[in-house]
Amino acid sequence: MTALWGAFAGVVIAVGASAAVFWVTHRLFGLVERRWAVVTATSGVLAGGAAGAVASGLRSGADSTPLLAGSQLVWIVGGAAVFGLAGAAVGLLRPPSAKRTSAMQSRLRALTFVGPAMLFVALGLIIPLLRTIYLSLFDKAGTGFRGLANYGDIFTNAQSLDLSGWAGIFGSQLFWGSVILFAFALAIALARGRRRGVAADFSASTVGIGIGGGLLLSFAVFANLRGTVMNNLWWVVAVTFLSTALGLLAAVIADRTKRESFAKSLIFLPMAISFVGAGIIWRFMYIARPPQKSQTGLLNAIWVWFGTLRPSTGGAWIAVAVLATATAMLTALCAFGVRRRQSALAIGSATAAIPLLWLIYRFIGPGVGGSILGPNGEPIAGTILFVQESPFNNVWLMVVLIWIQTGFAMVILSAAIKAVPSDLIEAARVDGADERQVFFGVTLPTIVPTITVVMTAMIVLVMKVFDIVRVMTNGNFGTQVIANEMWQRSFTEFNLGLGSALAVVLFLGVVPVMGLNIRRMQRGE
Amino acid sequence: MTHPTHQRTRRGRRATQLIGVLFAFTLIAAACASDDDDDAAATTAAAAATTAAAPATTEADPLEGTKVTVFGPESSDEEAGALRDALDHFAAQTGIEITYTGARDAADQINAQAAGGNPPDIFIFPQPGKLADFARDGHLIALPDDVIASMNEHWTPAWTAFGDVDGTQYGIPNKSDLKSLVWYKPALFESKGYGVPGTWDELKALSAEMIANGDTPFCIGIESGPATGWTFTDWVEDLMLRFHTPEDYDAWVAGDLAFSSDEVSGVFNEVLDLWNTPGMVFAAGGSIAATPFGDNGQPLVDNDCMMHRQASFYAAFIPEGTVFADGSADAVDTFYFPSVKGDKPVLGAGTLVGAFRDAPEVWEVMKFFGSSEYAEVRQRAQTERKGGGLSGFLSAATNQDPSVYQPLEQSFLSILQNADVVRFDGSDLMPAEVGAGTFWTEGTAVVNGDKNVAEATQAIDESWPR
Amino acid sequence: MSSAVDAAEAEQPAGSGSAVRERQGPDRIGRAVYRFLRSIPVWVLWLMVIIWSVPTGSLFLNSFRHRDDQRASGWWTSFTEGNWTLENYTDVLSSGAQTGGLWQALLNSFAIAIPATIIPIAIAALAAYAFAWIPFRGREWIFIGTVSLLALPNQVALLPLLQMFSGGAHWSIPGTEIVVTLIPDFSLAGTATAVWLTHTAFALPFAIFLLHNYISTLPGELFEAARIDGADHFTIFWRIVVPLSVPALAAFAIFQFLWTWNDYLIALTMLGAAGENYPATIKIASMAGEFGLREHLLSAGAFVQAGVPMLVFFFLQRFFVRGLLAGSVKS
Repeated sequence: MTALWGAFAGVVIAVGASAAVFWVTHRLFGLVERRWAVVTATSGVLAGGAAGAVASGLRSGADSTPLLAGSQLVWIVGGAAVFGLAGAAVGLLRPPSAKRTSAMQSRLRALTFVGPAMLFVALGLIIPLLRTIYLSLFDKAGTGFRGLANYGDIFTNAQSLDLSGWAGIFGSQLFWGSVILFAFALAIALARGRRRGVAADFSASTVGIGIGGGLLLSFAVFANLRGTVMNNLWWVVAVTFLSTALGLLAAVIADRTKRESFAKSLIFLPMAISFVGAGIIWRFMYIARPPQKSQTGLLNAIWVWFGTLRPSTGGAWIAVAVLATATAMLTALCAFGVRRRQSALAIGSATAAIPLLWLIYRFIGPGVGGSILGPNGEPIAGTILFVQESPFNNVWLMVVLIWIQTGFAMVILSAAIKAVPSDLIEAARVDGADERQVFFGVTLPTIVPTITVVMTAMIVLVMKVFDIVRVMTNGNFGTQVIANEMWQRSFTEFNLGLGSALAVVLFLGVVPVMGLNIRRMQRGE
Repeated sequence: MTHPTHQRTRRGRRATQLIGVLFAFTLIAAACASDDDDDAAATTAAAAATTAAAPATTEADPLEGTKVTVFGPESSDEEAGALRDALDHFAAQTGIEITYTGARDAADQINAQAAGGNPPDIFIFPQPGKLADFARDGHLIALPDDVIASMNEHWTPAWTAFGDVDGTQYGIPNKSDLKSLVWYKPALFESKGYGVPGTWDELKALSAEMIANGDTPFCIGIESGPATGWTFTDWVEDLMLRFHTPEDYDAWVAGDLAFSSDEVSGVFNEVLDLWNTPGMVFAAGGSIAATPFGDNGQPLVDNDCMMHRQASFYAAFIPEGTVFADGSADAVDTFYFPSVKGDKPVLGAGTLVGAFRDAPEVWEVMKFFGSSEYAEVRQRAQTERKGGGLSGFLSAATNQDPSVYQPLEQSFLSILQNADVVRFDGSDLMPAEVGAGTFWTEGTAVVNGDKNVAEATQAIDESWPR
Repeated sequence: MSSAVDAAEAEQPAGSGSAVRERQGPDRIGRAVYRFLRSIPVWVLWLMVIIWSVPTGSLFLNSFRHRDDQRASGWWTSFTEGNWTLENYTDVLSSGAQTGGLWQALLNSFAIAIPATIIPIAIAALAAYAFAWIPFRGREWIFIGTVSLLALPNQVALLPLLQMFSGGAHWSIPGTEIVVTLIPDFSLAGTATAVWLTHTAFALPFAIFLLHNYISTLPGELFEAARIDGADHFTIFWRIVVPLSVPALAAFAIFQFLWTWNDYLIALTMLGAAGENYPATIKIASMAGEFGLREHLLSAGAFVQAGVPMLVFFFLQRFFVRGLLAGSVKS
């Protein structure tokens, strides 16, 4: 309990002291132009006190005997007095030119604003970073110099990077699916382009289809090129895109609904749950039990229930009827789109119909879901091992992070949408724009910088993904990622060299993303 | 100014509100803190009162008021609570203030604490291999002679050897688990005409008979979150002890007998051949790797499988309300995991305490941890906290009062104490890279069918730090 | 989506398959469906809400079931079979596995999360303002350097910080026996202060990045006008920047509070064996026990833990309000 009071006292003291220091320095630096001597004297006192403190703390040898005699207080006060007097003397005798003091003043003012942050960053991040780079050149115990051998170990290891399965990319359905989508997008763009008299015209819908194709392509690539590094990249691509897109969707739609705060709170809820809780939640979603027993995992329970819908029992015919109706409607919509020259509508409904047709085929034919036929012809559950079956178990782990991070994207994007000036939107509405045009014409362009911020933050966060993998698989079953590997090396095995090298790789992998982003930000200014 | 003033004031109000809300939080928290502070003061007062009321054991003990911090991985209410009860018992005798902190990740965390200069006074090591690492790195303090003498009064050399690092004693055993056990239901065996197997071949024959009768012999699951795979390593270790000599086992654990040798990969194959026999295992989606090790109690009780090989502490995972070894129709009992050559080797595990600080009060607490008194007090407290049934605690300390243990637990003790050969769980003795790393992960990979035995054992050998 | 289909189905006449073949059919049905589709976004949102809530809801219902029930059957079976219990919650709330129990742990969580939220916001807002609006030499490089540190995996900084907290920072001058004390030993290891100081350092790159992004887009002419009126940087910051940045500050406050409230690793490393200072995350995770014996308690524990962040979200959500910048930004 005293610790708790200590914490609160610490907060009060820290906040109060920081505010006081900030205020005093701010005032002090305001005096640079008028009372130069006061500033130099005060700086002298501060520097002298610090020097005195350091001097009294000097220790020598293994038994750490103080190097200088005298109490700490004497040294601090003495140092402050001597340096303060010297400072005052310098300030009085050699006042600088007015131009220089004015330049100095603005720089010192900036320092009061940036200084506190720099202090924390230097102590908490820069020193550890330098130490990590240093340690990454050494062996396990941190004593024997290894040069870049740790980095060599990381990249020559088949666990980290295994490109031997590249041929499998071209055999995967995902790859051909992405080719079809790309072809679709290109065909539409060319067709629209011919109407407009340009080579190709890319609209929002073609870009959307293209992005979908890109995601499928990346899945095809990552499912075949394996290893820790590729897993990390897979996480970055999939989670960043899907979380941002879903977060944007939720933020945009919620902005128009009456029960906005209720809907947003529920989508945000996963963010409020700790990783320990999230691990338990998804364990209950994914868990599989022996086929003979009732399933406790929701997804497998649904999957197994689908398996019981078979033509012989009649269940499948109901499903087929529902699906057929939906397909018919989509076909109608497609025809409508074609006649109205609404290509997005036509393509969208046609694309949506394809999986439905496939489902109808499955229901009539081999069945959907876990549907092994038992010895007496009764369906027995065939469960999915979401967490164990590589490589797509990676996707199921990503789902957990997408589930969490969508709330993050939604909240920031929602704040950005709220900041879009309402008079712009009103003006667009007065001009007769519908919701879609308002969104693509006004809202989206204004929040593009925020989308970039969200995606950058997401890339950095996903690059460092650790907790989910650790809780759910600990890197087993081909789901290892760099941060978890780093954790295992550094803390389970206490191999500081290799662990540090992994951290540096992770750091260097993210720096370009940050660099690009900052370049863009500065160009925008 | 380009904007009207009323908007500015509204903005100002919003900022004030934000600050107000934050400030209110601070106040609420501070208020709660003061409430609780009163409670804490009250409990301290109550505790002081009870200490005062207790028989006057303190005649100006020189250790009165000294403080000792203990850290360890046992963290559930029953385990950590019983551990704390035992320490409180000792604290009341000596006046030493002992705080025990249990955290689930303590075994990982102790590395950072030691390297960061913030170690506890005493750490409860779940793995002797880790204790040895810390001793060699100079973090641990070798036991003084009087502590060693006190330990030798309560523990046999077979157990104290686990705390011996290169000829110097650093650790004291304080808890024991018996791993060579198979859980089963005697009444069910009887009704089906199955006999308890005495040898490995009989076990295999029994399994085949069960499969032929339409029963599933084993429940096996190796999923255990970050520690997935340890159940597999337990099987390998138990069979290593049975197929080969204790010397081979020691050489293997020390890294002198490679995983890819015929001896070790032969045992890998033996385990996998049994597990992969169709109809042998009752497991999630047919996958041993997907079955949580804690979920095997229910099917055993439900007769979905006939046997489950797991350590003595597994009693706590068996559904509530199950009775143990009382002869009733649903009672669950254990038999000794059968041997191959007719000897009786035993695979054990447990915890050892090691000290990070050299002070008389620390050594007093260390002595207490290694005493049979600790085992008795803790066992009594843990049984009480469990509210009946098996406590899950076991100590191989000699001269304990056997009445604190239930009959089944007493049979565990007699197996432990009468074994020809006791060996510690091998993965706990190996370097962390292997014992808490590749042995688990590569083992999981072979069980899941992602690798074959040759690939996996070679990968483990490569990861062994040389 | 399925309800959308159902409703559309109800609108159209029987024999929808034949309707497609008719010449006029597609247009009429298509128009009806199209009209329906235009209202779909709202449905999509509710669908998302449902999908997002199902996993949490599953755990919530499971948290009212006994351990053996959780292991043996799905939560949906309890709707027909009953057997609900509050035992998990009473067990979690009355847990004595750590010194002080869960209530103490929740207070510790406050003692960590509140300073770890307020202090970085204050520091980062000042820095972000300077990076955006005070010209000084090296500004861009310092900014890029600071924000790049966002990429540093926090785990690597834990050990050096713990060393600093437990023993200060000392430098032995190479070639001599002399040791210089750079930072004295304040014995912070094992205290909540060490935890929130660490959180503060780790939070700054992201806070500066986020707030700079927002503050740099504020209209410069406001500052010009204020400067002509004689306001200095501090006045501009306090009177103009802070009030205008409320949504960004609130957004960051929400996330920072959540992250620090739910943090496990940093707290465990900085506190070590000081169990009396553990926040709720560590205590709840530890209740499961070494081998996960009482893992079923984590279901109830997760909701006890999530309650406070949800309240914070509800409170601070009010600050995302439209029109805060109305009339002050040029298109």
